[in-house]
Amino acid sequence: MSTIRVTGLHVRHRRTVALDTVDLALGRGVHGLLGPNGAGKTSLIRVLSTVARPSAGRVEILGEDVGDPRRCGPVRARLGYLPQEFGYYPGFTVSEFVAYVAWLKELPAADTPAAVARAVARVGLADRADAKVRTLSGGMIRRVGIAQAIVNDPDVLLLDEPTAGLDPEQRVEFRALLRELGATATVIVSTHLVEDVAAACTEVTLLDAGRVAYRGTPASLSALGERTGPDGMGDNPIERGYSAALRAHRTGAEALR
Amino acid sequence: MNASSWHTDDTLAARYADGTLPDSDAWSLEKHLEQCGTCATRVSRAVARTGTATVLAEVREAVLAEARGAVPAKARGAVPAKARGAVPAKARGAVPAKARGAVPAKAAEVAGPAPLPTPVARPAVPAPRTHGARLWSSRTGGPRASAPARPLRPFRSARTGGPGGTSALARVLWAAGPAVRGAWLVAVVVVAVGAVGLAYGAGVGGVRPLLLAVAPLVPVAGVALSYGRHADPLYEIVASTPSGGLRLVLTRTAAVLGVSLPLLTLAGLLLPASGAPGAAAWLLPGLALTLASLALAGYLGPRAATAVTGGGWLVAVLVPALAGPGAAPLARLAAPGDTLVVRLTEQLSRCLDGPLAQGAWAAAAVLCAALLAVRRSAYDRLDRR
Repeated sequence: MSTIRVTGLHVRHRRTVALDTVDLALGRGVHGLLGPNGAGKTSLIRVLSTVARPSAGRVEILGEDVGDPRRCGPVRARLGYLPQEFGYYPGFTVSEFVAYVAWLKELPAADTPAAVARAVARVGLADRADAKVRTLSGGMIRRVGIAQAIVNDPDVLLLDEPTAGLDPEQRVEFRALLRELGATATVIVSTHLVEDVAAACTEVTLLDAGRVAYRGTPASLSALGERTGPDGMGDNPIERGYSAALRAHRTGAEALR
Repeated sequence: MNASSWHTDDTLAARYADGTLPDSDAWSLEKHLEQCGTCATRVSRAVARTGTATVLAEVREAVLAEARGAVPAKARGAVPAKARGAVPAKARGAVPAKARGAVPAKAAEVAGPAPLPTPVARPAVPAPRTHGARLWSSRTGGPRASAPARPLRPFRSARTGGPGGTSALARVLWAAGPAVRGAWLVAVVVVAVGAVGLAYGAGVGGVRPLLLAVAPLVPVAGVALSYGRHADPLYEIVASTPSGGLRLVLTRTAAVLGVSLPLLTLAGLLLPASGAPGAAAWLLPGLALTLASLALAGYLGPRAATAVTGGGWLVAVLVPALAGPGAAPLARLAAPGDTLVVRLTEQLSRCLDGPLAQGAWAAAAVLCAALLAVRRSAYDRLDRR
């Protein structure tokens, strides 16, 4: 059962094409969105978060066509979104910030305090709940961002480079949280760190130059890397699989021209 | 990682219990324990063979004693420091059946409603890094809530109100958005107080026409600073929530108007009339320009829209005042202030006085409001506009 269905998606920023005829169907689990810089990862996440409007194509989330503004509201209430860059109001504490997003997501006022406490605890910031966000380190602010994204227990969770700014230990912990969230929700994680995908994702989608270059599982990507042997680019099978898949896609794309 | 095909053995469980198992293996094991009772029991037994079990029992005893309200000095003092920090963390990971169920649940009960003199649930000392303490690490080294934080303490914060929820005031401020909290609010107060101060403190004449010329720009500026990528640091998140879009735009605009209309009109009333239109004459133009900014924002985005309407108003009011018949505009700028003020007053009268002018502003406001209603879906995605 797919929670997200994308057909013929085009996204254009002025004259450059960010996404070109992307078709995807994603269900429950943790989906890694891989690709080089400028491949269209952020563009795809912003369209799925209903923030950006596609130039063409159809996006269905939780069975609703989000191109229709009237259907957007209920879907948005079930979304969680961590933008690549996000700001905060300087005077807000961690729990105020998360509670504010809960309010924006129309969580019932009575449930908000418990939901906020739970989200803040899940990212390990319970002891900093009353600290001003501006006093926190970069990695902690990232975790505040994750907390606001999960405060409504979303069915669809979109995380754009969530591990940026986390130290290795925190990344290991974050992957466990991802696996936990992926048990009940559709989680999409964009990253350029192949090892994050290997550790936490159930499925992999590789984007290149606005197109889907590869779809599979971390295991199948590793297997692809094994086949290319140790002379392929990358330090481990999955990294070699990543570069092999990219190369295969690029030569395929050349051949079509 | 299939639950049915893989199980722990005693060696693995023992290494997990004494904390010598590498991180990655421990993670896998913990994941497995969530669904496998047999292995949980095995790990539980392994932990019982370590010293942890004794400490755990002590903690449990102390927590129960606190719960009963009778807090013997022993329980408070005697819980060893390492027990407060290390053990609950350990317990959470290593003894799932017992610790997740019985002990922290009690701890949560205790830490919740009744304020405690020494809450046992909170580690009073930094917990040593053990393999069991695997919540997110914080680098601060301060007290960590990594203890029984899973079964959650009810959330309390003096600043956001009691357990019933966030305070009404906080919600009103949230609705008001960035402008009413930030520099814009200061600017409004400075304009209002400054105008009155200029007129009475410095004895400058003709302040009211100046205020009337500036006043309609104030709510327009408030709109510019309320919504959109350039104004709201949270915009990207806001735009993905059901509150984003026209409703939040209107809520924030209402807050902007609610602050600026009374404040500036009151300031105008306090100023000497000096032939200028009435102090309330700017209200309809102010409203019309604000709504025009919102309507245009659906096409141009908030920043460009407010620049167009605000600039348009300034041009309409100032240019005729500066470029009257006679001398060159530059000379006019250098002309005595009085002449400029007289011209400005005349121009403002043309724009604001009389039923015809006011009627036109009202019509414009209605028209813009109608345009807003028709194009409401455009505000869902103001991005790249």
